[in-house]
Amino acid sequence: MDCIITIDIGTSAVRIFAFEMNGTAIGFSKGSYPTFHTEPIYSEQDPEQVFITVLYVLKNFLTEKINAKKYKVAAICFSAAMHSVLPVDKNGVPLGNAITWADNRGKKEADDLKKLPMAKTIYDATGTPIHPMSPLIKIAWIKRHDKERFSKTDKFIAIKNYIIQQLTGECVIDYSLASATGLFNIHKLHWDNNALAYAGISANRLPTPVPVFYSSLQLRREYQVSLGLPKKTKIIIGASDGCMATLGAGVWGEGKATITIEQSGAVRVAGNKMIRDSKQRFFNYLLTDGYYVSGGPTNNGGVIFEWFAKQFGIFNEAYGIDDSIHTLIKEAMQAPAGSDGLLFLPYLLGERAPLWNANARGAYFGLNIKHEQKHFIRATLEGILYEIYSIGKILEEHRAFSTLSINGSFASYPLWAQIIADMFGKPVSVNNSYDSIGTGALLLSQTEMGVYRNLEDAAKTVSLQTNYHPNKKDHQVYMKYFSVFEKLSYKLKDEFEEIALLQNL
Amino acid sequence: MSQFFLQQQKSAELNPFPHIVELACQKIQHIQFNSFPVRQSLRLQFFYVNEGKFEWSINGKGFILYPGDMAVILPQQDFGSEKAFLDLGIISWITISPLQFTKAGNMLLGKWSSIPENETKSIGKLLSLNHLPVLSKLATAGHIFQSLQKEMAEQEIGYTVRVNQLIDELLITVVRHLTRQNNLQRDFPQTFMKLEQSLRNNLDHQWLVEEMAVLVGLGITAFTAKVKNYTGFSPLHYLINIRIAEAIKLLKNTNNHVTDIALETGFYSSQHFSTTFKKLTGYTPRQFRKNNKKNT
Repeated sequence: MDCIITIDIGTSAVRIFAFEMNGTAIGFSKGSYPTFHTEPIYSEQDPEQVFITVLYVLKNFLTEKINAKKYKVAAICFSAAMHSVLPVDKNGVPLGNAITWADNRGKKEADDLKKLPMAKTIYDATGTPIHPMSPLIKIAWIKRHDKERFSKTDKFIAIKNYIIQQLTGECVIDYSLASATGLFNIHKLHWDNNALAYAGISANRLPTPVPVFYSSLQLRREYQVSLGLPKKTKIIIGASDGCMATLGAGVWGEGKATITIEQSGAVRVAGNKMIRDSKQRFFNYLLTDGYYVSGGPTNNGGVIFEWFAKQFGIFNEAYGIDDSIHTLIKEAMQAPAGSDGLLFLPYLLGERAPLWNANARGAYFGLNIKHEQKHFIRATLEGILYEIYSIGKILEEHRAFSTLSINGSFASYPLWAQIIADMFGKPVSVNNSYDSIGTGALLLSQTEMGVYRNLEDAAKTVSLQTNYHPNKKDHQVYMKYFSVFEKLSYKLKDEFEEIALLQNL
Repeated sequence: MSQFFLQQQKSAELNPFPHIVELACQKIQHIQFNSFPVRQSLRLQFFYVNEGKFEWSINGKGFILYPGDMAVILPQQDFGSEKAFLDLGIISWITISPLQFTKAGNMLLGKWSSIPENETKSIGKLLSLNHLPVLSKLATAGHIFQSLQKEMAEQEIGYTVRVNQLIDELLITVVRHLTRQNNLQRDFPQTFMKLEQSLRNNLDHQWLVEEMAVLVGLGITAFTAKVKNYTGFSPLHYLINIRIAEAIKLLKNTNNHVTDIALETGFYSSQHFSTTFKKLTGYTPRQFRKNNKKNT
């Protein structure tokens, strides 16, 4: 029987899924690789280790779950984390580690660019907010601060491009991933001259952009042999993880939004127009030509609740963080919606949308003598979700939505899902598929292979049931406190800057 | 606590314990210049502070110890006081002579110890990788010293067994305390990153799962399960990932011989390296290198 394999090269791990042609899941496997922080604000990965991990997991997966069960691989489709930059020399050999999305070394370069009138032109053309995460800024940083590496670099590619180049020999980038570089004109589908000029490079120092359905890739002979895959195995280049997750959540067209909360979080909508936010707060990435996934990312998702659990949770066994989180969530349920007026600003990692302030810091606010531990726990959780709501609220000024789907390991805790429904005052459905990125890649592959006429038809097949209905009374409580939360986030700007300077981070 | 000072070959009490070089508890009431200079330690030493405040230099770094703290000094490490004398207070110490203790931490204790040989090696490895030779708030160690002294003084029936058991106990206490002190037992990702770093820094070492587990402070079963859950790989397979990734970089960026690369990255031989490499990538290391240099 034929099957489709999806490979997601994520921030910390590669996740591989296999599906039968009708979409039934066959199996899953993952393998993780480390992120190195040689400086506090640096965030790097070893491209060779990522490659070996992908290869190793894929090989074992094929041997155990595919070839052993007589499945025939009809197609392999890729997705990957956005914004990574890997300089390679003329032989395609990496010049050091790849710089990941979380790397903040280009803070000053981003600030400098933001002050120029060109910033708006670049944002309108590329759809990517001006921020250290953006490859545009990272390349500008390398040019300024690592001149030797800059001059040795033949091409600046992404980790995904490197893996595909290793496997197939081709150095290409899909429109989707390209649209997250801050260097790609998302309207005209080519590298943007203004952005290139600011980064200080010409277009031939970037990979060749191709559509997300591009499938004239072929495995190198050695990998055909070692992986046991026939020469004609179709390799589809695919899209970015964020776009795949949106597609996999069935979000297509007006009226729908999706919320993802893993370590970080995001609120996204999709449509055939870019969101032109005057404050440049939202990203606009291409799912495919003429189709934009827009939204805002927060740094402070599940990672913040994990931080809280590590500091204050009860651990019955070494490293038993999941248990500890469950216990805390149970205790949070003992406190009322709004935590009796205890507020938490979750900006422990600075913040992207909607503040776009790397200096933002966390705070508990409104403490009175009656607050107990359970209030702290619930306030922490509510603070993370107020931030999600604040992105959604501004997003709605541009694009109305009446239903929400949620996915990601944290968002799908029932209490979290209910609070999201209550804050937004909208019904919430939990995505049935356990991995929306994998589902997105499956739908994209099926579309490429003619199962669906287009991605819109494919997206419609994602079944969504409403699982959580908003509670009006709690909604009103949250809205009252949210107004204080929102005011604090902006009011503290000067103090954030001052304390960040003292903390020297 | 009463004072005493036993020294091998001078004190008959130590005759049944050839592995104990010194065992003592001393109250320092006067400063004696040049009594405690920094010098290379030849043995494994444990210094426990009962009272007072001591400023010592261990392996080139300065430390201040307060009551309840213990310094662990490995063979070949420099130890002493920069001022060359002992501060005022009460300290207990024991000096042990292991059968073997290499720079890489390959330790053998001897027949007197009932810690199995593989665990002894793991303990040695852990001690040699440890950068914080001072264990804080280790009152248990103080109790062990008291018991040691009592056993030695009273020589009640079975005391030779008890003394050796107490030394084992001290070692185990130290190792467990070290892993807890070095690893926040709530944060597996962080702990795993530290282990990752140790593996990378000692890639040519023939790592055993036991050794890795000790560094993290878990038993082998729990350790293997946690690593598998977190990384998707067994600990040894994860290690192979690092080895191959490092080898690929050396193949691409240097002209080193394949055999040298193999040994440097921890494979037993160039044969072992080539087989593993080919199985994974489909290329032999030599083909792989040729391929990546000719793409020009």
